[in-house]
Amino acid sequence: MKILVCAKQTPDSTVRVKVAPDGRSVDAAQITWAVSPYDEYAVEMALERKDADASTTVAVVSLGAARAKDSLRQALAMGCDEAILVSGPGAEALEGLGVAKALAAVAQEAKPDVVLCGRQASDDDQGLVGAALAEALGWPHVATVTKFAPADGGPAGSVNGIDVWKEVEGGHEVWRAPGPVVLTVQKSEKEPRYPSLPGIMKAKKKEIPEKDVASLGIGASLPKPEIVKMEPPAARGGGKIMKDGDAKRTAQELARLLREEAKVL
Amino acid sequence: MLPVAGSDERLLADAVAAYARDLAPRIPAAEEAGAIPREVIADLGRLGVLGMTIPEPDGGLGASSVAFALVLEEIAAVWPSLAVGVSVNSGIAEGTIVRLGTPEQKKRWLPRLIDGSGLASFALTEPGSGSDAAALRTTARRDGPTWVLNGRKMFVTNLRYAPVAIVLARVGEMDAHRPHAGITAFLVPTDAPGVVIGRAESKMGLLASDTSPLTLEDARVGADAVLGPQGTAFGAVAMAGLDGGRIGIAAQAVGIARGAIDRAAAYARERRQFGRPIGDFQLVRNALARAQTDISAARLLTLRAAWLKDRGRPFTTEASKAKLFASEMAQRATHVAVQTLGGYGYMREAAVERMARDARATTIYEGTSEIQRLVIARGMLSL
Repeated sequence: MKILVCAKQTPDSTVRVKVAPDGRSVDAAQITWAVSPYDEYAVEMALERKDADASTTVAVVSLGAARAKDSLRQALAMGCDEAILVSGPGAEALEGLGVAKALAAVAQEAKPDVVLCGRQASDDDQGLVGAALAEALGWPHVATVTKFAPADGGPAGSVNGIDVWKEVEGGHEVWRAPGPVVLTVQKSEKEPRYPSLPGIMKAKKKEIPEKDVASLGIGASLPKPEIVKMEPPAARGGGKIMKDGDAKRTAQELARLLREEAKVL
Repeated sequence: MLPVAGSDERLLADAVAAYARDLAPRIPAAEEAGAIPREVIADLGRLGVLGMTIPEPDGGLGASSVAFALVLEEIAAVWPSLAVGVSVNSGIAEGTIVRLGTPEQKKRWLPRLIDGSGLASFALTEPGSGSDAAALRTTARRDGPTWVLNGRKMFVTNLRYAPVAIVLARVGEMDAHRPHAGITAFLVPTDAPGVVIGRAESKMGLLASDTSPLTLEDARVGADAVLGPQGTAFGAVAMAGLDGGRIGIAAQAVGIARGAIDRAAAYARERRQFGRPIGDFQLVRNALARAQTDISAARLLTLRAAWLKDRGRPFTTEASKAKLFASEMAQRATHVAVQTLGGYGYMREAAVERMARDARATTIYEGTSEIQRLVIARGMLSL
């Protein structure tokens, strides 16, 4: 099975993001970059498949600035087989549908059986690219996926449909999709793996081919909605710590405060 | 960036740092239980940490001693108990097997010390021989195709996790004028008949690190268990192994000090007294600045010793200097850290009290500070 993972580079989730002086962007100077968490789950999910069947190959593609190569190298160090960077002037400014079209061009060339995207990126939380990519490819799409496996049957080595586990309220559904398919990932079975030291050294030596976004023939980009203002969340008021050791008294006091002060009971 | 560490070495250390950081929530319970969870050792195997310094043809990564020192610092900054286990396994035991082992011995043992199924031990110290290591009394005698070992080893790190221990024993009678003659190293499988692992020691610090006595009661090993030329192990195994091990302990001390001082600095920024952060006060700044400078100096000494080792140059006295300075520095730094956190620093909840206890061992094991001074002075005076 051939898997293509789309991974976006976003500010690391442990970084405290600051609004830049222009009031409409993020201060890039303070940021360390990482693979967006849902995309990291997608990488892990692909690698779990590869663990189960060593003949699986996993490619990872990122679209954006040249620094996204570092995130691709991280994915290679985790165990992906190859990486592709789509970059060049205009790549960073591309709106969601343009990104989807560019990734579709990469997918059409790579011919994977499954494309995995995180369900949404941690910077803009738009959740658009995965579904739009399926549309651009004319492939089926399943969302909030937690697991997938090739469906039984068919000659060895061929992919005879994909079984997809998807989270729904209160449980799971198992869907069967004809391949090829685009899946947007909710969570992998295990937490994303740490890159191994040999993996890091191997990844360092790997060539990461770059594609110019202008060469992918995605046509005119759509009008892009613009961010006009960014506001940090309002500062939280100080909490109250109840230090009285007596559990019963503390519980009574807590109930009183919740009713009279917080007015939530 | 450090003058002796390249970008690859930093890259490896950063990867281990990311893993070590995520271990933090598990440490209090593991220290309480007095054991490193098996799955943490398995993780280190999977991540390639345990085999990182083994040459590639022997199944490792072939990383430098400098990289290994940086990695040990990162582990120790979070969990000193784990760092010493890795240092003994990979620095001393694997290092000795790579240096002196036959192809068969390497093939038999190295994979098991790399893959995370266990951590190897190095059994030198005895009830009656510590700093005077050549006074060891454990004996080995040939009996047909096997060797029979008898004696008692103390303070053996990793013993509970060890598939194999490198045991130093004496072949033949002790010659009072040449006490080191006859000392021979054996690769003793811990499941060999006559090998008894005693009750784990209850220690001041490094609580999750296993420290146990090893008793050999007519323990039988094969002729293929002899590691290196018979009778030469005092210099070739004990002293040479400890030279490398001392770099590991120096790195551990640097890590402990850094971990403690980083916490102290974070606290000094947040903690307010007399209407301002305590980091505003000159006495606090003075203590933190001195500790931070100490840490940088100790790190450079440590990496210099590792750098010399990587280039095949003599590094015995440099390793001793690094171990001496770093371990004593770690006492001062952890003292400052506890002092900066004040009452909170004395509580179990703050990791600095643990680090202060853990640091204490570093001036003692793998050669006390006094022994390091002897080694350094011997290099100066050639008496």
